[in-house]
Amino acid sequence: MSSTITKLNAPLTQAFDFQPSSETQSIPTPTKNTLAQQLAGFDTLIGALEYAAQGITGYNFYDARGNLRSVLPYSLLRDNARNLAQRLSGLELEHGSRVAIIADTSPEFIELFFACRYAGLVPFAMPVPVNLGSHGIYVQQLKGLLESSQASVALANLDYINFLEEAAEKITGLKWIGTPGQLSKLPIKKVALQPNQPNEIAYLQFTSGSTRMPRGVVITEHALMCNLKGIVRNGLEITPEDRSASWLPFYHDMGLVGLVLAPMVTQISVDYLATRDFAIRPLQWLKLISRNRCTVAFSQPFGLKLCTMRARESDLKDLDLSCWRAAGIGAEMIRPDTLRNFAEKFSSAGFNEKAFLPCYGLAESTLAVTFSKIGSGFNSIQIDSKILVDKRMAVRLQAEGRKSNEFVNCGKPLPGHIVKIVDEEDRPLEERMLGSVLVQGASIMSGYFNNPEETKNALKPESWLDTGDIGFLYEGDLYITGRRTDVIIINGRNIRAQDIEELAEQQPEVRSREASAFGVSNEDGSTTVVLVIECRLASPAERHTLSKRLQQLVYMAFGVNCIVELVPPHTLPRTSSGKLSRFAARQGYIQRTNLDDQLAVVESGDR
Amino acid sequence: MTNNNYDEIIELLCDRLGSLANADVNITAETNLISELSIDSIKLLNLIMEIEDAFDISIPINALADVQTVHELASLISKIKSAS
Repeated sequence: MSSTITKLNAPLTQAFDFQPSSETQSIPTPTKNTLAQQLAGFDTLIGALEYAAQGITGYNFYDARGNLRSVLPYSLLRDNARNLAQRLSGLELEHGSRVAIIADTSPEFIELFFACRYAGLVPFAMPVPVNLGSHGIYVQQLKGLLESSQASVALANLDYINFLEEAAEKITGLKWIGTPGQLSKLPIKKVALQPNQPNEIAYLQFTSGSTRMPRGVVITEHALMCNLKGIVRNGLEITPEDRSASWLPFYHDMGLVGLVLAPMVTQISVDYLATRDFAIRPLQWLKLISRNRCTVAFSQPFGLKLCTMRARESDLKDLDLSCWRAAGIGAEMIRPDTLRNFAEKFSSAGFNEKAFLPCYGLAESTLAVTFSKIGSGFNSIQIDSKILVDKRMAVRLQAEGRKSNEFVNCGKPLPGHIVKIVDEEDRPLEERMLGSVLVQGASIMSGYFNNPEETKNALKPESWLDTGDIGFLYEGDLYITGRRTDVIIINGRNIRAQDIEELAEQQPEVRSREASAFGVSNEDGSTTVVLVIECRLASPAERHTLSKRLQQLVYMAFGVNCIVELVPPHTLPRTSSGKLSRFAARQGYIQRTNLDDQLAVVESGDR
Repeated sequence: MTNNNYDEIIELLCDRLGSLANADVNITAETNLISELSIDSIKLLNLIMEIEDAFDISIPINALADVQTVHELASLISKIKSAS
């Protein structure tokens, strides 16, 4: 078994303060492979791994100080995954049973993920706790994921196993729960591992932290292979000289599909930094790129912002980012200033702004939908704000002095995919008209696992996926202008408004359908969460306590501060069916607080 | 762990938190980081970096899930420090 797995049984502090010792390899996998590069085009993940395992490239894991902690070449990954698959087979699970794995940035997660595929099981990644005081809410979240996926097996390393055990207490379907170390002690079942079929489920991707209604995106081997092919051939134009670096969490689609699976299906090496370590010391990511001459590295705009904020002049002289040819940006609305500020800060460190590669995608389409043209940097367009609001139409700014909005070009769909813009009645709109963004193509999910209702909401007839985003097409290129009001994006994370409202409604003082959550933009482009509650409490002390408690709960669950506004009953606007309208609630709040400049239309589309 | 160590940590924390927090709060060991100080995720990351650099330790992310007050954070740091 790999040395990395035995290491997990070391006490917690050692697992974190691990000092390189003689048992670990001290050299990362090389960039140059001994194997001819095949750019995706495999039938299944396992087919791709069997090929990659013939070479010498693979995954490398670095600690917070930039020291190499462990190395997992694709060849070793293959052997370890097959070995673990035979131990999983001993559990006698039905083909396609779900396996829940808390996805720390570790070799163990990747080994388990592939072990599941070898054993014909469906893995899915669960998040790690990230917020202060989030213990209770995190356990609830895990419980929701275990229930929704009807998982048969659940795994976490030593740092997280206590949370998992707590969450699993009342879950009936679980047959086995433990650490990778414990799994590696189960007996090996001598069975021939069967190849997977393209039409079977490859993995689930959960898109929401909701405790009650998590949604697990179902991705088949075929959809995955199709999306990966588009990403590496058309989006990134990967070559044998490429190498990736990533801090993106393995439990996000961009981290998993884009920076674990895409490198593997092209047999290139990757250097990983844990998300937590990046968040605290973002420069470590850039140092890794500089030192290992990485060429492909993705981030949310928020990650770039962190780098820009934290870099000191003295850091810059040690960096040489001239090797970085594909700086992929995605996963949230891209604001041009974020990219400009980053380029300005790091140009003296060799960063070439032509490397910026805006793209658009979502887990429901495996990962990617559109890519801008590689090597041409980011392009944007100045749109007349008034015409956009009044006529829902994107017209280039003609005259000086008029107010405008700048939007980033996200490029064209990958081959085999079509993007269309529709109005509220799902009627297709002409180019330049603002509406909901729909996607069709082979990368689209089969649905949400065990959730026909949500599936029906997202997948329209003829398998058009409603992305939930608002945008327009201009000369065939996609521009995203906002999200519908059911999702609040803050510090790079998607928070469903419904999740915040549910949390509020669990309080005894708050009735159901009397809480409304939404985001408002601040002048600097950041977003603040606002929670409006219809409140019957009269005593100022009680009102204060409720506000404080709600703020604390939201913080513990989502790691963000929020503004709580208590309003009299019947203040929140409702639709004819009695449903709260978040869009109208937001408009009301803006009026009450005299926040102007909130471009209603660009973020509207509430249904 | 010595008391000295813990007191030193509390002192440093109160000092750092005082400059991070928005509100004019008198910070003590019992102060709740979330409800009283509004420490958002960016401030939290800054604080952790400073703590790690000041005490030459690494704070595991899982341990923060059980931290709500200044005292709990100080105890955690003190525990990690004495184990290293």
